[in-house]
Amino acid sequence: MNDSKWDDRTIAAASSSVIILGALLYYWVGEGQSMLELLELAYGSVKFFNNPLVF
Amino acid sequence: MLVSGYYSWNWLEATHVLTLMISIGSLFIIDFRMLGWVLPDVSATAIADRLHKPMIIGFVIMFITGILLVYAKPVENVQSLWFRIKMILLVMAFINAWVFNSRMKAADGTWDSARVAPKGLRTGAIISLCLWCGVIAMGRFIPYDWVDCPKVSNTALLWASGCVEQLNAL
Amino acid sequence: MLSNLLSNYRTVAGLAFVVLAVVLVEFFEVRASIYPSLLPFFEWLKYSSWIGYLGITYGSVYATIQAGHLISMAIIGGTVLVTDLRLLGVLLKDIPSETITKGTHQCFKYSLMVAIATGIFCAAGVADKVYYMPVFWIKMLALLTGSGFMFFIKQPLLNSRPHHEIDPWTLRILAAASIFIWFTVAATGRWIGFS
Repeated sequence: MNDSKWDDRTIAAASSSVIILGALLYYWVGEGQSMLELLELAYGSVKFFNNPLVF
Repeated sequence: MLVSGYYSWNWLEATHVLTLMISIGSLFIIDFRMLGWVLPDVSATAIADRLHKPMIIGFVIMFITGILLVYAKPVENVQSLWFRIKMILLVMAFINAWVFNSRMKAADGTWDSARVAPKGLRTGAIISLCLWCGVIAMGRFIPYDWVDCPKVSNTALLWASGCVEQLNAL
Repeated sequence: MLSNLLSNYRTVAGLAFVVLAVVLVEFFEVRASIYPSLLPFFEWLKYSSWIGYLGITYGSVYATIQAGHLISMAIIGGTVLVTDLRLLGVLLKDIPSETITKGTHQCFKYSLMVAIATGIFCAAGVADKVYYMPVFWIKMLALLTGSGFMFFIKQPLLNSRPHHEIDPWTLRILAAASIFIWFTVAATGRWIGFS
């Protein structure tokens, strides 16, 4: 089993990398979005999202 | 505007600090290689040569963000003792880098695969490490106010921080 | 059958266990119940421990150690970039990636130790503030994940055999995840200072 390319360590590495990349992307996109919302609130002109607080 | 805008100051400063990992990171790897601390079995000139580009990219970003940071708070920076020491150390670091580079070119090939570089280059690497550590420390000290003009009474310190008002009052 | 699978796939089983543990901790709100009990520790760290005392009393010591933290961060960044950009095929292409991985790991380990030691000192001085900051906890989580990833997954795989025998896409996402997680540790750290 272990002589194939997809052994224990490779599967663990590939899956953990995917989990880490996914989680970090989720975190940073969320951060970016909340920052844009704050900018919208502050300046009212950056309407990237449908923020009900911005008229 | 750079100071008062939401996040703009933070973004600039964060970029300035995080780019340390590219510029100083590459530079320290080169210096460490000269001292034989990392990658001792890889050609030293190859490391210095390949890491040159990312290092320069890092430094260019640091300079641009650094200049903008000074531009945003000109008085606080220029009147700061730490900022002044930082600039002197920066100039010294660049002179050292220039000397280091020309020494490396002059010594070309003769020592490349040795675990540690010749003495002259090792000294240059240690000086570079010390100077850049100093630059980082001084940069970190700038926001602190231990030697702000109103707090200082020592004439030499007042002169070094450019406290004109306090000097005139003496 | 199961024991055979477990002995053949020990790392995968460990990883699955960690992921399951994280999910369970979130699901049963264990985190929320542990959180208040950590406050006394953070208060002790700031007001009663000698590192907290040193950090609060001597601003210059605090700033110097912060500078040490930044320097070790720069070295971590350097080693991570050199290793992972080599794995991605961006830098140092003419030097075998096995050599680079082995040659920088020691340096990474030492600078991580310095960064953690100086980091504890920096956190102790403002322990009552960082306790309430989500970004501080994100950083701790990223640091823990990054270290576990580095020492239990990435390094064992890269040292196990010549890199051309490893699936190239695995190597690439491995390097990307490593750069991204250490960048996050540094960036969230910088953000602690602003919050």
